[in-house]
Amino acid sequence: MSKTASIPPAARSWRDIPQDITPRAMSTVGRRRMTMKSVKTIATCVVLVGLAYGGFEIWRTWRANPLVLAGAGRSEPVRHVRVESDGVLGQDWVEKTLNLPKDVGMMDLDLFALRERLTAGGQVASAVLTREFPDTLEVKLVERSPVLRLRTRAGHGDVRDFLLARDGTVFLGSGYREELLESLPWLAGMKLVRAGDGFAPLDEIDRVADLLATASSHAPQLYADWRVISLARFEADGQIVVQSGQVPEVIFGTREDFFTQVARLDLILERVRRRPGEVVRSINLAVGPSQVPVAFEVPAIGALSPAPSRSNRLLPKS
Amino acid sequence: MSSKSRYIGAVEIGTSKVSVLLGEIFDGTSVHLIGYGECQSHGVIKGVVTDFKQASDATHTALLMAEQKAGVKAEEVYLAQTGGHLEGFFNQASVSVSAADNMVSQLDIDTVCRLAKSKALPEDRMVVHHIRRPFRLDGRMAGTNPEHLNGQRLDVGYWTIHGAEARISDNIHVIRGFNVRVGDLIASSLAAGTMLTSPADRQHGVLVIDIGAGTTDYVLYRDGGAYLAGVVPVGGSHLTNDLALGLRITEGQAEKMKIRNGRAIVLTRDKAEKVWLNGDLAIGDRQFPRQSIETILAARVGEIFEVVKKKLGGELTPERCAAGVVLTGGTAKLPNIAEAAARVFELPAQVGDMPGWVDEKLRDPSHTVVLGLLHYGLHGKTDAGPPRRARSGNFIKKLFAVGA
Repeated sequence: MSKTASIPPAARSWRDIPQDITPRAMSTVGRRRMTMKSVKTIATCVVLVGLAYGGFEIWRTWRANPLVLAGAGRSEPVRHVRVESDGVLGQDWVEKTLNLPKDVGMMDLDLFALRERLTAGGQVASAVLTREFPDTLEVKLVERSPVLRLRTRAGHGDVRDFLLARDGTVFLGSGYREELLESLPWLAGMKLVRAGDGFAPLDEIDRVADLLATASSHAPQLYADWRVISLARFEADGQIVVQSGQVPEVIFGTREDFFTQVARLDLILERVRRRPGEVVRSINLAVGPSQVPVAFEVPAIGALSPAPSRSNRLLPKS
Repeated sequence: MSSKSRYIGAVEIGTSKVSVLLGEIFDGTSVHLIGYGECQSHGVIKGVVTDFKQASDATHTALLMAEQKAGVKAEEVYLAQTGGHLEGFFNQASVSVSAADNMVSQLDIDTVCRLAKSKALPEDRMVVHHIRRPFRLDGRMAGTNPEHLNGQRLDVGYWTIHGAEARISDNIHVIRGFNVRVGDLIASSLAAGTMLTSPADRQHGVLVIDIGAGTTDYVLYRDGGAYLAGVVPVGGSHLTNDLALGLRITEGQAEKMKIRNGRAIVLTRDKAEKVWLNGDLAIGDRQFPRQSIETILAARVGEIFEVVKKKLGGELTPERCAAGVVLTGGTAKLPNIAEAAARVFELPAQVGDMPGWVDEKLRDPSHTVVLGLLHYGLHGKTDAGPPRRARSGNFIKKLFAVGA
């Protein structure tokens, strides 16, 4: 027999007193606590059972037909498209471009594909599409601003006018006022490269945009007269050639800042205006700050009073 | 609430008041006091429930008050147990060390502990505490865990506190009526003693006396642990009663007189020095000799201490109780009570001072037991069973522990 076998059992402890108690023996507070505890326990059980059942149903559906789960949110169709833009595009353009099927569900929207549609034309720099439940699609657009326009053959033969943004993107403008488009100079001397349905972005347009911005803000009367901006000599000589209504050829250099060159041009044209009868053919601002070659048209014989020819004169530095 | 914290209520159903303290126990190691409730006690005489409904109403009111202040519900309760029905006895057992090399094994310790606790009790009695005294190996002290020590004979003794089943059951059912479980039942004396004494005091020997309204609980510490404990069914209400009888005034008036003019020893020499009953000079207000008041109270206080001293018998000696006597409980607020205790026990005596971490509002001696319940429930359970080898902690934690 083991050593411990003969030891009598320990005396009863207070822990042997049963702590079960009937609700009848409880006070009102105790009964209320017990009721609340029971309610909480039942509620917890119901929630757990619900979660378990829901999980099981989802698992079963997923096993049977995963597509049903994907379309679970289809019940609520898109009823409103709210548009915010920093440019000229509005509600009509967005709805037309998105071309959402009637009664398409909120969860059926492929936001990435829709964003592609909005940015494909080039006018929209970025688009943020957000589902706002229950039934609204919010579209926020950031647009590109045109700095030049150009005319070229698009696709299979039609010649169309395109716009050119500061970052070199070529796009068909939409929603712009006619006056704004008329005020933009034409681009010349650049070869466009096709990319997909459109054109590849052009390089160095930001320099041209700087020139145009400087001219439009500091000498708007000059800018308004500019007709064509040629970049034919840009790559080789770093020169931007502007053809205006008053002067057939104004050459800007990209090495010197544009503000100085525009100011110099304004001064030269001011002086020329004081000499009636003299027609400027060319002003070359790209030579440098020390001198500006200005070429005048050779007048017809007999049209002027006897005087030495003034073509190819050099104007002093202003 | 963090995942490892529990809300524990400490409840003392006293004769004069019910006190409840709600504590948040973090990780089983530290406690944060978050709510306190107190209610005048009804249906309790000398620490025993005599009217279940009244006692329940008072206790539940205090519990509800504490829960409302804390903003949380108590998950379980540590309940203080007192009352004249509590008694104690000492039982000792010894075994021969079983191993051939005389090395004490865990089996030897288990066996001797079970033997020492196996003394049968009468049918209507139940154990409240087994307080283990230090082990002895071949007559020499072997501390709290003699495993792996060498010797031939292992002795251990238990001071067993037991009480009437019906009384204990009544107390527990008062709490269960609130629909919260009693997690631990702790003798009031042990709760108070744990709170007021330091390990050094307990090592040197100290007597803690908690004088409540209906009972006086005492515990004697020696060799670092509780040595014996007991209850005397006399308390502060008896002082009030004696005063009421002696001066022929109502108990309410006597209680006020005790608080206002009482003293535990007779200091007044002038018999003509008198005090007013109410002090408002209204009809019925009259004067009483201060010396009479002091004489009545000093006699009863001295008698309480004498009863405690008699119960302790030869166990209380100045050499084995070097830290003296510590007094607490509501009646310990009586002026000069420490001097009265010192005279009777012939030991240095003082009114217990709470540890520094206790909030100012809870530093009153009448709150010692509820504070001690949480403290004892957290740290003081060293006397329950045979000592066990410390288990290694979480294996995964240890595996990935960063060296200190």
